[in-house]
Amino acid sequence: MRSRKISFSIIACVFFVFPMILLLLQSVSSPWRFQSEDGFTWQWTSYQKLLQDPMLWEATLTSIVIGYAVLVINFIIGLFTGKALVSSPYKGKAWVEAILLSPILLPVLAIAMGLHLLMIRIGLADTLIGVILLHLVPTVPYSIKIFYNGYNQTGPAMMEQSNILGAGFWTQIFTVELPLLRPAIRSLTFLTIVISLSQYAITAIIGGGRILTLPLVFFPYMENANTSLMAAFSIWFAVIPVTMYIVIELLILLLPYSRLPWRNHR
Amino acid sequence: MKRKISYLLLVFLLLSACSQASTSERDWTKPSWDEITSEAEGTEVRLYMWGGDEGINQYIDEWVTPRMKENHGLTLERVPMDTPEILQKLQTEKQAGKQEGTIDLIWINGENFKNAKENGLLMGSFTHTLPNFTDYYDTNSPAFQTDFGTAVDGMEAPWGKVQFVFHYDSDKIEDPPASFEELHAWIHNNPGKFTYPRAEDFTGNAFLRHILYAQAGEPEDIYGQPLEEERIAETAQHTWTYLNDITGDLWRSGEHYPNSLTELDRLYSQGEVWMTMGYNESRAESLIEEGVFPESTRSFVMEPGSIGNTHFLSIPFNSQNRPGALTAINEMLSPEAQLAKFKPKYWGENTPISFEKLSEEMRKQFKTVERGKSVLPPEKLEKSFLPESEAAYVELMREQWFNEVVQK
Repeated sequence: MRSRKISFSIIACVFFVFPMILLLLQSVSSPWRFQSEDGFTWQWTSYQKLLQDPMLWEATLTSIVIGYAVLVINFIIGLFTGKALVSSPYKGKAWVEAILLSPILLPVLAIAMGLHLLMIRIGLADTLIGVILLHLVPTVPYSIKIFYNGYNQTGPAMMEQSNILGAGFWTQIFTVELPLLRPAIRSLTFLTIVISLSQYAITAIIGGGRILTLPLVFFPYMENANTSLMAAFSIWFAVIPVTMYIVIELLILLLPYSRLPWRNHR
Repeated sequence: MKRKISYLLLVFLLLSACSQASTSERDWTKPSWDEITSEAEGTEVRLYMWGGDEGINQYIDEWVTPRMKENHGLTLERVPMDTPEILQKLQTEKQAGKQEGTIDLIWINGENFKNAKENGLLMGSFTHTLPNFTDYYDTNSPAFQTDFGTAVDGMEAPWGKVQFVFHYDSDKIEDPPASFEELHAWIHNNPGKFTYPRAEDFTGNAFLRHILYAQAGEPEDIYGQPLEEERIAETAQHTWTYLNDITGDLWRSGEHYPNSLTELDRLYSQGEVWMTMGYNESRAESLIEEGVFPESTRSFVMEPGSIGNTHFLSIPFNSQNRPGALTAINEMLSPEAQLAKFKPKYWGENTPISFEKLSEEMRKQFKTVERGKSVLPPEKLEKSFLPESEAAYVELMREQWFNEVVQK
């Protein structure tokens, strides 16, 4: 047991902590040139440049709004579809499941081209709603799968019991299912936000430059040899989903039967 | 009262919607220039362009945008987007018959222009209406008549020009090679210190075309004529022989090539290789300032010459603000805007303007710009200038390089 813990920390350090530290250090120093004997020079210019970009704040805000909207819609669709899939034992469930998962098997860009045509016709191209709808394509299949598994793990007995005790539909969801599905909500949150935040091509095409998200500002800088600037941008890009996640985590605490850290029962 | 205001607003919106529809239908190359600029006043122009260089972005945001506001009351909105995505968007809009586009101005050249022109994604011929273009540019110059072999037909206006140069670290290399044969010898004498990006990369492909030019009897055999594979078969063979010859002495013995110019730049920055390359003769300046390239970086060109090309501004077929777009292009072509672009402060890029057509005062200002130590003198650049070949050659090198060089 002990040795497992040690090997876990070693792997975590080598593959996760160490690269993050390198990234942080690079972002606050000049680009490293190993053969130039210059040594390590501290500097803040890469962050200054980053924050000077007039589009950064606007893009960050848009990305956050889109991310949360996509998350909420995903949550609703995923929860009810997952529940329906579990509780109705009809034939051909495997087929329905396969169809629901199919959007992730097709390249999103191919879907986006077709959807762009449709959205132009119904007037949703170049709008925020259009972009949010499009971000559902690569995310909804995951959230259905996650909630489906979540409900499967909880088992029908739990639901039956609350039913017998007289809980209505909504009471059951809020007092029994959601608290039990907390792990599913967490993975859904992280996955959805990260996927939505990193869509470049489809956001560019459907948003048409009217909707400016973070990747639209960030990705062109990949073709930049200035590693410090890239590192600063990457840190910025990583901080946003983490912050968004923390906000959701705080909201989860509001669910009934949550162990509140500031209340000291057990 | 509130209701009245909202009705008024509605009427106003409807009216403005009507007037906008008429601006995109009208042929804006016919009216007088004064009419165009007065129509443009107070409108918004949306400029879509690649946004991966802070120098270029700052030039637009800090110099061009305020000037547009001041001189023409125009609001210039810069939107960062890669050109292939822009064309993809226009293509779908064309298919859907969407006439009210969001893009008024695009930055384009080469293969992208060819695609856009062939698919009818551009507004049409307009350069003859721009006073600054007809006054200060050599309108008959071959550099503006064709763009990678595609006839321009006035559908795009020249905004800048760049020339391919090689960069080296003068602390490590005293005399850079003066011709491609000398480069060949240099690579053999300094194994592992040179490489080039893959043929799929824009810069890597240009490097290969330089060798093709060098192996031809005269470079004009390549850029002067359309691609016929049989005619250039021998030259192509020499090119592959040259490349296969140096492969063993490239960085990592030629087993890996950088995927992009950025990767090559990083290798150079780390001192792994001693040379890098790229379009835009002055691009090393900002990289030196940022501490990415060593201060001792200098540039050189080799015999038989170095390829240069022009990049352009154009208007898409469904721009909603054509007078605004024309006014903006005219302003960006002005000697003052070109001078600010020429100075190393923001971009440091060369200008396609004709110096003979400028006023004495303006010419002097251009002449006194200090472009930086890493930039070659203009005479040297001009003497070695070679035009781009047809876009088909780019395709040819891309397709055959893998079979002829990587697989051998």
